[in-house]
Amino acid sequence: MPQPLNSKDAASFRQLVKLYEAKQHKKAVKTAEQILKKNPNHGDTLAMKALTLNAQGHTTEAFALAKTALQADMKSHICWHVYGLLYRSTKQLDEAIKAYKFALKLEPDSAQIQRDLAFLQIQMRDYAGYIESRKAMLQARPALRQNWTALAVAYHLSGDLESAEKHLKTYEDTLKTPPPRTDIEHSEAGLYRNSLLNEMGEAEKGLEHLETIYDANLDRTAVMEARAWYQLQLGQSEDAEKSYRDLVVRNNEYRPYYEGLEKAMGLDRSKSDDVAKLTELYKELLEGNDRLDAARRIPLDFLTGEQFKPAADQYLRKMLIKGVPSTFANIKALYSDPARLKTIQELVEAYTPETTAMNGDANQTNGDSKPSRLEESRLFFLAQHYNYPRSQNLEKALDYITKALEITPKSVDYNMTRARILKHKGDLAKASEIMNHARELDEKDRYINTKCAKYQLRNDENEKAIQTMSKFTRNETVGGPLGDLHDMQCMWFLTEDGEANFRQDKLSVALKRFKSIYDIFDVWQEDQFDFHHFSIRKGQIRAYVDMMHWEDRLREHPFYARAAINAIKIYVMLYDDPNLAHGNTNGVNLEGLNAADKKKALKKIKKEQERVAKEDADKRDAEKKASPPKKTGGDGEPKKEDPDPLGLTLIETKTPLDEAVKFLQPLLEFSPKTIAAQNWGFEVYVRRGKYLLALKCLIAAHSIDSQQAKLHEQLLRFSQTIHSLTEPLPPKVKQVLDANSNIIPEFSSLTNFNDAYLSKHKDCARRTQSGLSARRAIGQSPQSDIEKNLVKALDIEGITLKEALEGLELLKAWKSDTKAYVEKAKKVWPEASAFGEGSDS
Amino acid sequence: MAEPQPSNIAEGASEEPALPTNAEDRKAAAALSSLDANAEEETGKDVDTEALGAAMKNLDVKEGKKAELAKVKVEAVDVTLLVEQLELTKFKATELLRQNDGDAVKAMSAYVTAAV
Repeated sequence: MPQPLNSKDAASFRQLVKLYEAKQHKKAVKTAEQILKKNPNHGDTLAMKALTLNAQGHTTEAFALAKTALQADMKSHICWHVYGLLYRSTKQLDEAIKAYKFALKLEPDSAQIQRDLAFLQIQMRDYAGYIESRKAMLQARPALRQNWTALAVAYHLSGDLESAEKHLKTYEDTLKTPPPRTDIEHSEAGLYRNSLLNEMGEAEKGLEHLETIYDANLDRTAVMEARAWYQLQLGQSEDAEKSYRDLVVRNNEYRPYYEGLEKAMGLDRSKSDDVAKLTELYKELLEGNDRLDAARRIPLDFLTGEQFKPAADQYLRKMLIKGVPSTFANIKALYSDPARLKTIQELVEAYTPETTAMNGDANQTNGDSKPSRLEESRLFFLAQHYNYPRSQNLEKALDYITKALEITPKSVDYNMTRARILKHKGDLAKASEIMNHARELDEKDRYINTKCAKYQLRNDENEKAIQTMSKFTRNETVGGPLGDLHDMQCMWFLTEDGEANFRQDKLSVALKRFKSIYDIFDVWQEDQFDFHHFSIRKGQIRAYVDMMHWEDRLREHPFYARAAINAIKIYVMLYDDPNLAHGNTNGVNLEGLNAADKKKALKKIKKEQERVAKEDADKRDAEKKASPPKKTGGDGEPKKEDPDPLGLTLIETKTPLDEAVKFLQPLLEFSPKTIAAQNWGFEVYVRRGKYLLALKCLIAAHSIDSQQAKLHEQLLRFSQTIHSLTEPLPPKVKQVLDANSNIIPEFSSLTNFNDAYLSKHKDCARRTQSGLSARRAIGQSPQSDIEKNLVKALDIEGITLKEALEGLELLKAWKSDTKAYVEKAKKVWPEASAFGEGSDS
Repeated sequence: MAEPQPSNIAEGASEEPALPTNAEDRKAAAALSSLDANAEEETGKDVDTEALGAAMKNLDVKEGKKAELAKVKVEAVDVTLLVEQLELTKFKATELLRQNDGDAVKAMSAYVTAAV
């Protein structure tokens, strides 16, 4: 029941609402307190005060006060609305929806509450609820076009395209006169309706409708593309060809237009007859377009053998003489075909400084004084060529880049490539040094600065890297450069920094970084909220629907997978050995100690940890004194300082596997084809005793690559685990397990299974390692034998540095002596930093 | 292919002042939050009110087709088993069971062997 106020206080209350909306929080609180002096139990005022407190960052008090407000006035929609808003601000959207619904029941005509509810529903993807809300909103304001469009969007997102299209049409049919051409909302709605028809597969209707809006529509590109597409779908070849030709004229570097044109002309790249016609086509398109790249480059994709060579020759010459730095990047896609790779390599190696003159290059005959850059760019190209995995020969690469650097020692590009070659050789320290040298050649270039920071992180120089980054960050933000990198959601840095910490066994900081990536994805999910209103108001429907589909698949981004897999690894390690939570054990092996000694050692470690944390805090304080930081972030919102900068609280979790599952579920849902995700899914689920889910991961991994090294070992382990269960599984689970275990080896024949795998893959280092690791797991042969074989595996032809490092990781995980292994590896990779410091057992 | 740069643009020069965003951001945020208030009043002037009224009457759209699935009988024990073994929400577990005629073994098998 609304509690009445006297007229003066009522005016104050209105004032209070205004102050809150204007974000004048202090004044708002004061006004609220004035009203409360006379009316201490006025629910609405209490609620508004709670809302203001929450905006000031006092969340706990705000919730308490909002509860008091509700007790004072259960029947006030304002109180319920505020309660909903508070839940909304703490991201408990389910609760918020409930509160809004209460508020709406009390005040069914409130457009504001209805709207807030609708946005929450679509944010939560409650399509049925959203459609209901949108219907109600339309009923309240049927004359407003956006309400019709929004209802259509609601149907569209719920998968009911027909209803969506119908609603758009219904509204259009009510228009007496067509809106003016300048009406963007109308123009967008027309295209949106057309895209619906396309999505429904109604090409004919779509084209028909498109013709009615074609002339007046403001988005020329969109209507032209749509028309060409429809014509192609409907087999109207001649019209389609014309449409695509028009598009090519509009943007002649956009490859999909060329693809469309080829299709419209019925040309097939795999037919030799058509290749001649295609060549002819691109020749024609090139006429008069001297600077055009697409029409020159595309033929290299379909020409083969004898025809390929002259075309490639022409292309390469033109680019190299001009000295286009991206030449190699333009070409390397062709390397998937060994024949083309070979041709290109032969061509470029054969170029000499005289090539230009022999070719009668236009530049020279015209008397242009610009010298040819052929020799230099040829060296650069070859350096990149021999650095590329498919054509790798690092010695040659280094040789070529050195020669290029002799000509232009100050080239950022050349130095950068040199650093990259060194990185591939495994010499991370030198690579980082050279990359820094390249950076110093152009300190204003953000790209090279970023590259340099990345190389420093690869070399585990975290402090240096953050210093490098700080040259381009807003360092007055709370938390300094690192804080700004978090604010700017600089994910690559956070990931690399986390991995560097991981390598250095600083698990807490590493975990902290990976968690921050997780949080950034949460923020992105949250970010869509404003657009439910904004986009529809602005009439930008197609972009909005695109965004919604993108949000639904947000976490399929590789950055998420990479961070999640790393975090899961750490959590699994923590589960296997909770002592790791105490950070760097300084080489103390806790396993061998008795209880009392262990306690002592742990105490010592804890003390050390506290000391480090304190040092860190002191440093921060000192920095703060030097330059008092603002308490706000880049967006002007109040920002709290991170109470746990080293992640010590984070890592002390009592339930590491529960935490791991939080990372794992989105990973398996959105990146099921990433085999590492399935591998780590198995590791988590088998530890949780969820054998069906573990089996699911195995089956999925098996369908991706049945011979994968990690999978092989896991199959054996699973067979072992199931065989030695102490408690019987529930009968139905056992039934499912038995029915779907055809990929799992019999427990009685594990040795045979493993030996078969080992002999089948004796030429693959990684799989041999896995087989050996499995031997250890099933106790097939003594450990010393296995270790010897692991060292022997370094002889396998084509073993990569990465594989060798994985072998080293195995030895470390077994707590074995790594000396023999490292010594041998050092001979193969003399420059590799990882084998540099000898044995560290 | 680099196009020639207009002469008045210097390479590497930043176009914006060092701290552009802050005030602007705030303005944008203010504009965003005040969006509800204004412009929404403008209604379509060209709308034919009668036609609109007629259109509103035909708003009802067909109901969902999910009714059939809802008829499948599902045992509470099986739901609990699925929630426990497959770490699904109760809602999803029930749905999975319904899709598999309420048969727990069939449902779990289908889930475990689902193609990726």
